Amino acid sequence: MEPVDPGERLVPEARVHFRVSRFIMEAGIKLGMHSIPIATACTIYHKFFCEISLDAYDPYLVAMSSLYLAGKVEEQHLRTRDIINVSNRYFHPGSEPLELDARFWELRDSIVQCELLVLRVLRFQVNFQHPHKYLLHYLVSLKNWLNRYSWQRTPVSVTAWALLRDSYHGGLCLRFRAQHIAVAVLHLALQAYGVEVPAEAEAEKPWWQVFSDDLTKPIIDSIVSALIQIYTMDTGIP
Amino acid sequence: MDRDLLRQSLNYHGPSLLSLLRTEQQDNPHFRSLLGAAEPARGPQPPPPAQGRKEKKDDNSEIQTFIAKKADLLFALSWKSDAPATSELCEDNEDHYAVIPPLEQFMEIPSVDQRELFFRDIERGDIVIGRITSIREFGFFMVLICLGSGIMRDISHLEITALCPLRDVPAQSNHGDPLSYYQTGDIIRAGIKDIDRYHEKLAVSLYSSSLPPHLSGIKLGVISSEELPLHYRRSIELNSNSLESYENIMQSSLGFVNPGVVEFLLEKLGIDDSNPPSLMRGLQSKNFSEDDFASALRKKQSASWALKCVKIGVDYFKVGRHVDAMNEYNKALEIDKQNVEALVARGALYATKGSLSKAIEDFELALENCPTHRNARKYLCQTLVERGGQLEEEEKFLNAESYYKKALALDETFKDAEDALQKLHQYMQKSLELREKQAEKEEKQRTKKIETSAEKLRKLLKEEKRLKKKRRKSTSSSSSVSSDDESVSSSSSSSSDHKRHKKHKKNRSESSRSSKRHSARAFSDQVDQNRNDDSFPVPANTSASFLNQKHEVEKLLEKQDRLPYQKKQVKEKDRSSLSSSSVEIPEDFGGPSEDPRDLCNSYKTQAGSSKLEKPYKSERHFSSRRDSSEFCYRNSEDKIKIHGYKRFEKDNAGGRKEYYREWEPNSIRCSSSPTSSDYPWKSAERCKKYPSSGSRDFSKHGQRHRLNKDEQYEREDHSEEDTKAEAPEDELNSKEQPESGVKKKLPQNLLNIFHQIAAFEKEKGNKPKS
Repeated sequence: MEPVDPGERLVPEARVHFRVSRFIMEAGIKLGMHSIPIATACTIYHKFFCEISLDAYDPYLVAMSSLYLAGKVEEQHLRTRDIINVSNRYFHPGSEPLELDARFWELRDSIVQCELLVLRVLRFQVNFQHPHKYLLHYLVSLKNWLNRYSWQRTPVSVTAWALLRDSYHGGLCLRFRAQHIAVAVLHLALQAYGVEVPAEAEAEKPWWQVFSDDLTKPIIDSIVSALIQIYTMDTGIP
Repeated sequence: MDRDLLRQSLNYHGPSLLSLLRTEQQDNPHFRSLLGAAEPARGPQPPPPAQGRKEKKDDNSEIQTFIAKKADLLFALSWKSDAPATSELCEDNEDHYAVIPPLEQFMEIPSVDQRELFFRDIERGDIVIGRITSIREFGFFMVLICLGSGIMRDISHLEITALCPLRDVPAQSNHGDPLSYYQTGDIIRAGIKDIDRYHEKLAVSLYSSSLPPHLSGIKLGVISSEELPLHYRRSIELNSNSLESYENIMQSSLGFVNPGVVEFLLEKLGIDDSNPPSLMRGLQSKNFSEDDFASALRKKQSASWALKCVKIGVDYFKVGRHVDAMNEYNKALEIDKQNVEALVARGALYATKGSLSKAIEDFELALENCPTHRNARKYLCQTLVERGGQLEEEEKFLNAESYYKKALALDETFKDAEDALQKLHQYMQKSLELREKQAEKEEKQRTKKIETSAEKLRKLLKEEKRLKKKRRKSTSSSSSVSSDDESVSSSSSSSSDHKRHKKHKKNRSESSRSSKRHSARAFSDQVDQNRNDDSFPVPANTSASFLNQKHEVEKLLEKQDRLPYQKKQVKEKDRSSLSSSSVEIPEDFGGPSEDPRDLCNSYKTQAGSSKLEKPYKSERHFSSRRDSSEFCYRNSEDKIKIHGYKRFEKDNAGGRKEYYREWEPNSIRCSSSPTSSDYPWKSAERCKKYPSSGSRDFSKHGQRHRLNKDEQYEREDHSEEDTKAEAPEDELNSKEQPESGVKKKLPQNLLNIFHQIAAFEKEKGNKPKS
C-alpha cells in the first residue's frame, strides 16, 4: 500500500518540519515537559506552518514560542530562560550557557513576540483534543479483554505510547481525528508483537470499530503508513 | 533481546518478517545469533499459518518492514516498562478515568467464545461477584454476575456457576450454621479458590486468605447492590440501551475530562512519561546528557552570573566601596546560594569589617561546598586565629582554645595558630595557678568571716530574748483589751464567710428547697447576710491578699507554736469550749453581753482560738486570711467606735507596725497577723467609706442577734465552717445552707434596705476588681 499523502515524503518542507519537531520534542524532554504539552507544542507548530509559508519565519523561533505557549495552554508553565538555555545548547552542543546580557533579553523578547504572532495566526485557538487520552482508555479496555499474561509479556502500552509521541514529528495530528490516530497507533503496536485480539474473528464488530464508529480499515492503514513514513525520515538523519 | 516476544511476532507474521529481519538487522550481533539459532528451531516446527493470515501478511509488508527496522528497539529488554504493573487494587473511581463497560460487550462476541475465554483467563485469587442461587448443606451455589479484580469481563449472561463450600464460609457470630446467614438472592463477593478449566467448574471462598496480598483488605461476603463495580453497572445500562457507543459513554463520563486522567492511566498502565519511550533513533532519551537538561543549564548559568557579580564586588572592594561590594556579593548569593567564590569574598569582607563570626560562617559554608578551596581554607584559618585572639582578650580561654584547635585541624602547618595555642596554654597554666592561690586566700578569709557573723547572730538572738520578756509583761496588763480587740474581728471573719456564701449561692439556692429550714433560722440567715453585706467590700482583698501573705504568716505561725498559750481569760474559756461543739459556746457568755459586737466577738474569739488549737497545717490558710481581714476591721471599728483602748488608737495613728509588734506576743491572733503594711490600710480605708451604714447595720444586727441567738450561733457556726472551707467537706456543708428563700419572711421595708445596701456595696465592691 502506498502512503496516502505522498506530499509528505516528497516535499523537502516535511524534512524541515521533521527536524524542527524533533527539536521541539527533545527540548520538551529536557525541559521536563509531559507528553501532552509537547504534543500541543508540536500541534501549534504544525498548524502555524499550515497557514504560513515556511520562508516567512524562522521555524525554530516558532518552535520555541510553541513550546512556551504550549506550557501555558497545558498548565505546565515554562520559563523563557530555560527554553533559551536548552535551545542554545541544542543548536550549539557543548556550549556554555548564554550570559544574561542584552542579547539574551532580545532573544527572550523575540520569543514572546513570536508567541503573540502564533496566537494571532491560530486565531487564538490553541486547545487541542489529543489522542493520548483516548489511547489510554483503549489500552485499559483492551487489557481487560486480553489474557493477562500475554499482556504482561507484551509491551503494547509502551510501544503505542512511543508511536503516538513520535507521530507528532509530522502533521498527522492535523489530518486525522484523535480517536483514529489512537486506534491506528494501537493497531500498529499490536501488530508489531503479533498480538491478536481474542475472538476477533467471531465478533460482530472489530475491536477498532468499537472504539470509533466512523473509523474504517483504510483510515487505519493510511494513518499507519503515514506514521511509518515519518520513521523513514528518522533514519535519514544522522 | 526478548526472544519470546520476537518469536511471538515471528509466529504471527511468518517467514517474510524473518527474512526482512535478517536483512535489516544483519549488523546487529544480537539478532544475528538469535536469528541464526532461531531458524533451525523454527524449521522442524512448521508454522502453517491460516490461509486468511497469508492475505494479511501481504497487506502488512509495510508494517513488517517497519518491525524489522525497529526490531532492535521493539524487542529490546529495556523497552518493556520498568514500572511494575500497578496493582488492580485501584478502585474504579469515576473521578479518575472513564470506566467503560467491557470491550466484548461492544464487540458482540458469541457467548460460547466468551465463556471459553473466561475460563482460560480466570485465575485463582480473582474476585468474583455473584448471586446465591441455592443453598445446600455442603455450601451454596452462586451465579457470577461480574468480576471484581484482575480482568473486567462481561459475564452476567454466561450463567457461570460457582460453588462456595461450607468450609469456606466463615462462621457468623452466634450462628450455629454459617450458611443460615445467607439467603438465596444475596449478592456475594468471593475470591476464586479453585478452577477446573476443563469441566468449567469454580470454587470460591469467603475467606480473604483466598485473595492475593494486595487485595486482602477487600471485604468478602454479602454486599449491597451499590457496591457492585462501576463497570458492571455501566454494562447493565448498556444492555438496556444497546445503541450507546463506546465513544459516547467515554466522553460523557466525568473521569474522561479529569485533568489528571493521563497521568493516572499512565501509571495504571505502567508507562513512564518522565523518561518517555520513542522509536526514533535520534530521540532516545537515555542518550541525552544530563548536562543538557534545563535544570543543569540553569544552574550553570546562575553560577557564572553569580561569579560575575562577585567580580564586580571584588572590584568595588579594592577601591574601598565596601557597601557596594557587599551588595554585589549578596546579589551573587541570591542568584546562586552555594556560590563558593561569593561566600569567600563576603567572608573576607566580613573579616575586614570585624564581624569575625559571620566571616567564619561564610568560610565554613564555602569549604563545605568546595572542600578544596584554597582561599577559603586559608582565610578561615586566619579568621579563626583572630577570633581566638579576641576571645582571649575577653578572657574566654576555653572558647579561644577551641578556635585555635579548629584552625590547626584545618591546616596543621598554620604557624600562627600553633603559636597562639601554645601561648594560650601557657597563660592558662599560669592563670590557673594564680587562681588556685587566690582561691586559697579567699578560703581563709571566708572562714574568718563566718566566725564573725556567727558571733553577731548570737548577740542578736540575745537581744531578742530580752525584748520578748518585756513584751510579755505588757501583754498581761492589756489582756482585757485584747479580747475586745479580737472580738471585732468576728465580723471580718464573717465577711470572708460571705465570700464563700457568694460562691455557693447558686448551689444553695438550688438546694434551698430541699433543705429543711425554720423561719427563725432563716431569719438568722438573713442577719448573717446582712452582716455580710456590711463587710462586703473586704473580701475582695482578703482572699487575694492572704495568698501573698501566706508565706509570712507561716513563719509567724511557727513562732506562735513556740509561744505558750497566753494567760488571757478568753483563751481559757476557749480551751474549755474547744472540745464541745461551737453551738454551746455562745451560752457561755453570749447572753449577758449587751453590745451586739460583744456577742459575735466572743463567739469569734472562740472560733479563732479553736482553730488555733487544731493542727496548723490545715488551718494556716484560713487563719492567715482571717487575720488579714481582721485588721482592717479593727481599724475601721476603731474609727467608728472608740472603745476602751484609745491607747491603741493612738498607736494606730502613730504607726501600724509598732502596733502590731506590741501586740505580737500578746494575742495569738495579733501575732499571726503579719499583714503587709499596705494591705490593711487599703481595706481599712474602704471600710471607712461606709462608716455610717456599717454602724447602723450593726445596731440592727445586734438587736436581731439577741432575738435569734441560738439560731444565729448555729448559723455562725456554719459560716465559720465555711470559712475553713479549704477542705472539701466544708463546701458540702455550705451547700446545705439555706438562704435564698429567706427574704420572703422579712418585712418589706427591711428587705428594701437590704437590697439597697447590697446593691450599693456591690457597686463599690466591684470597682476595685474591674
